[in-house]
Amino acid sequence: MTPTSELLSPELLAQLERLELVSRKIFRGRMKGERRSKRKGQSVEFADFRNYVHGDDLRFIDWNSYARLDKLFLKLFLEEEDLHFYALIDASASMDFGDPTKLAYAKQLAASLAFIGLVRSDRVKIETVGQPARQSGPMWRGRRSLWQMLDHLEHIAPGEPAPLAEGVKNFCLRNSGKGIVVLISDLMDKHGYQDALRYLMARQMDVYVIQVLSQEEIEPDVKGDLRLIDCEDEDMAEITVSAPLLKRYKQNLAAFVEGAREFCNRRGMSYILAKNQLPVDQLVSNYLRQRGLVR
Amino acid sequence: MRSALGNIFETAGNYGAKASGLLFERTGMLMAWQWLLLGLVPILIVLLYFLKLKRQPLEVPSTYLWHKSIEDLRVNSVWQRLRRSLLLYLQLLFIGLVAWTLLRPTIQGKRLIGNRFIFLVDNSASMGATDVEPTRLDEAKKRVGELIDEMRTGDVAMLVSFSDGAKVEQSFSEEPRELHRRLEAIQQTDRSTSLAEALRVASGLANPGRSSNREDAGDVQVAEAEPARLYIFSDGKFPKVKDFSFGHLEPVYVIIGEQDAANVAIAAFTTARGEDNLDHLQAFARLDNHGGEKVSVNAELSLDGELIDAKRIEIEPGDSTGVEYNPESVETGVLKLSIDANDALAIDNAAWTTINARRRGKVLLVKQDDDEYLERALGTDRVRELADVTIRTADFLSKPDYRKQADGGGYDVVIYDRCRPEQMPQANTLFIGQLPLGGDWKADAKVDVPQIIDVDHAHPLMHIVAMGDVLIVEGTPLFPPSGGTTLIDTQAGAMFAIAPREGYEDAVLGFTIVDPAGKVGVGTNWPTKASFPVFVLNVIEYLGGARSSLDSGSVRPGQPVAWRSDTPAERIQVKPPQGAPFDVARGPLNTFNVTSTADVGVYEVRAGEQGLGSFAVNLFDSNESDVRPALELGVGDYKVVGSTHREPARRDLWKIVLLAALAVLLVEWYIYNRRVYV
Repeated sequence: MTPTSELLSPELLAQLERLELVSRKIFRGRMKGERRSKRKGQSVEFADFRNYVHGDDLRFIDWNSYARLDKLFLKLFLEEEDLHFYALIDASASMDFGDPTKLAYAKQLAASLAFIGLVRSDRVKIETVGQPARQSGPMWRGRRSLWQMLDHLEHIAPGEPAPLAEGVKNFCLRNSGKGIVVLISDLMDKHGYQDALRYLMARQMDVYVIQVLSQEEIEPDVKGDLRLIDCEDEDMAEITVSAPLLKRYKQNLAAFVEGAREFCNRRGMSYILAKNQLPVDQLVSNYLRQRGLVR
Repeated sequence: MRSALGNIFETAGNYGAKASGLLFERTGMLMAWQWLLLGLVPILIVLLYFLKLKRQPLEVPSTYLWHKSIEDLRVNSVWQRLRRSLLLYLQLLFIGLVAWTLLRPTIQGKRLIGNRFIFLVDNSASMGATDVEPTRLDEAKKRVGELIDEMRTGDVAMLVSFSDGAKVEQSFSEEPRELHRRLEAIQQTDRSTSLAEALRVASGLANPGRSSNREDAGDVQVAEAEPARLYIFSDGKFPKVKDFSFGHLEPVYVIIGEQDAANVAIAAFTTARGEDNLDHLQAFARLDNHGGEKVSVNAELSLDGELIDAKRIEIEPGDSTGVEYNPESVETGVLKLSIDANDALAIDNAAWTTINARRRGKVLLVKQDDDEYLERALGTDRVRELADVTIRTADFLSKPDYRKQADGGGYDVVIYDRCRPEQMPQANTLFIGQLPLGGDWKADAKVDVPQIIDVDHAHPLMHIVAMGDVLIVEGTPLFPPSGGTTLIDTQAGAMFAIAPREGYEDAVLGFTIVDPAGKVGVGTNWPTKASFPVFVLNVIEYLGGARSSLDSGSVRPGQPVAWRSDTPAERIQVKPPQGAPFDVARGPLNTFNVTSTADVGVYEVRAGEQGLGSFAVNLFDSNESDVRPALELGVGDYKVVGSTHREPARRDLWKIVLLAALAVLLVEWYIYNRRVYV
């Protein structure tokens, strides 16, 4: 059965099915997955021998070697394990802009990555920044969970009031495990995004920050005397649109994006700027592949 | 009711108007409440602007970056503030301009006096002079246009153009647009100028009472005479107008043209056959210098477009110089004389004369039996070259053959020696000792031995005819009808005269050549003198049409031409120098009367495929050629002093101001939308 949804089209699914999530760090999965781990464990793939020590499982002793060499060796096998994949979506009011809205874009991106994870039997969890601190979201595993995952995504509505830093902090408290975390946000928080990213860094997670910006933010098409109202805190800015003002705005935007990129790069996080006009499949198959999130 | 405030404004306005050279006068004086209303507009704009211009609310994801940008820009806040108010200034400027437009701003605030105007626009040849750019006529039209713009509601104006005649372009109208349209339609002509007709037309239309008969009790005045202002836009180059009174008209003569305008003109151009050799052609021209400086021009003579001679002529200021060319044997063709003068008037820098195929004249001599001198004089070789002479006695006059020929234009000239026909022939005539029919000619009782005191040698008939030694035994003093010219004058009265008759000319000799009934048997000793055959030759050449076929003479623009031709065709085709050829039907006097001769140049005449010849129309009018405008006009006993300066005209500025306002509006719109700053 090919699942169809607004978030994931059959073509996109077909494209995603060939991909898998990659982590630059080694994590210990709780359950056996399809992922080869550096940990030795039970699997069919032989890895190495080691000397038997007291207490080792007798089932793994290589009796053939014992017969030949009269020494007890233990056969080691590569363990295949699962990966934790977290998608953290910023569903604040500011994400509800653009065409498609940044939130819709973020959802589609999260769905794509989550699907890759589900297909590879990774553990997938999708949460939003504004989620209450104690309310942990469901975790899915396996292709069967696709519908549940999509349904969960569909129910994410814009307008969550929590500041980014607090939301990320809550996320970190809820999810102690290691793994890949992808933060999808516009980073437009008056209090700054730095604290939020520091929390993620502290969890020793493989962090990807995908900043989603709409076309209206990159190339504002405004003219005349305007009273700009911030959709999140009702803050007002009165502007008279002028060429110098627009120029200055673009300079500021570029500086903001560059600041975020540098902040992330210095701290070992991957930063990716996504414009809502760029189709998700291209973003995943080109940009994210280049950055090593998928392969 | 006018309030005190309104009066104050008006007084202030008047002071301003008097003080300034470039006057900005308001015609529509506003009431106080209107002033107040107008004054409130800018105040309201400022208030509205500062009471907060309505900013359009727009929800954005985050004002974070915008705030930052605004703060960055605030660094140079003075410029920012100025820039922010730029729209306000522009709006105020716009409102100011619109308000000014409503006040109907003008330059030079003298009003047209009166409410009835007659504009006489000279479109004669001299108005084509280019001393005023582009031409005098255009300048005149421009000035009339300015005055038409000047008219207020209720004003009426009439437009008359005049050259040698007058044309009412537009009778009294208060429609400026119609007047402008008609004004633009006035065309330059090559004609000479006569103001008299234009004045009569204007006066007749302006003062209707004058055209009706006051003596007649039954005559009803169709309209009351009303005073009108008569503007004459002209260079004043026309003869003094006699017997005219302006009456209710108040004349204003606006001089069009520069006083220092210079012009070199061909004042005359004609050809003649050599006296000794008829094939030998001579061309004479007179060049006038109507200017203040000595000029030197090249006068080129060309035959049918090919240059055959050129001369360098120097003419003193105000002087005229004759030029003579000897093109030798020229049978037919068009001679063109052109000068390369770079002067104000171009139309008189070229002149044409046409040499048509010589046509043999047809001469009938109706003689008495005793005459032999005339017959002998008509028998010379020269006469035989020029004409076919038929000699008959007086009884021929009663024969049907004569009647047919005479009525059908079969003769060019008929010489009646002491006899006269029952009906005047369709030909030129020379009567000897007899008066023509009709009673127009009068004669006194016979006088003995009249002494010749004057001979009009200028007339072709008396050309080089020496009468000094001629004695007349007996003569009848003649009184030619109006239009007649005395050619030989004696102390008793005219002995030889010529007068026109319906396209022909009748010459009458008051004495007889032969007089057997007289005391001495002869009437005069003239036949024994050398001048007699010359005289007869002149008669053949002039009245017999031999000369006219050589040179059609000078025709002024607009003058009718009576074209004579042997052609049996009922219609001839005339191709004017400009425009399409037209047909002319045979007239009642066996001539073709060409009336459309408005343009100077050569007119070709054809009958179907057969070329009949051509005639030339030349300006040859020293009044028109002298382009220095007259400073005053003589009309009756009245002298109208001209003014060169522009008739004070109130020129409306509101259109320009409104355009400026629109431009400001555009700039404001552009700045508002595009936000582009200097």
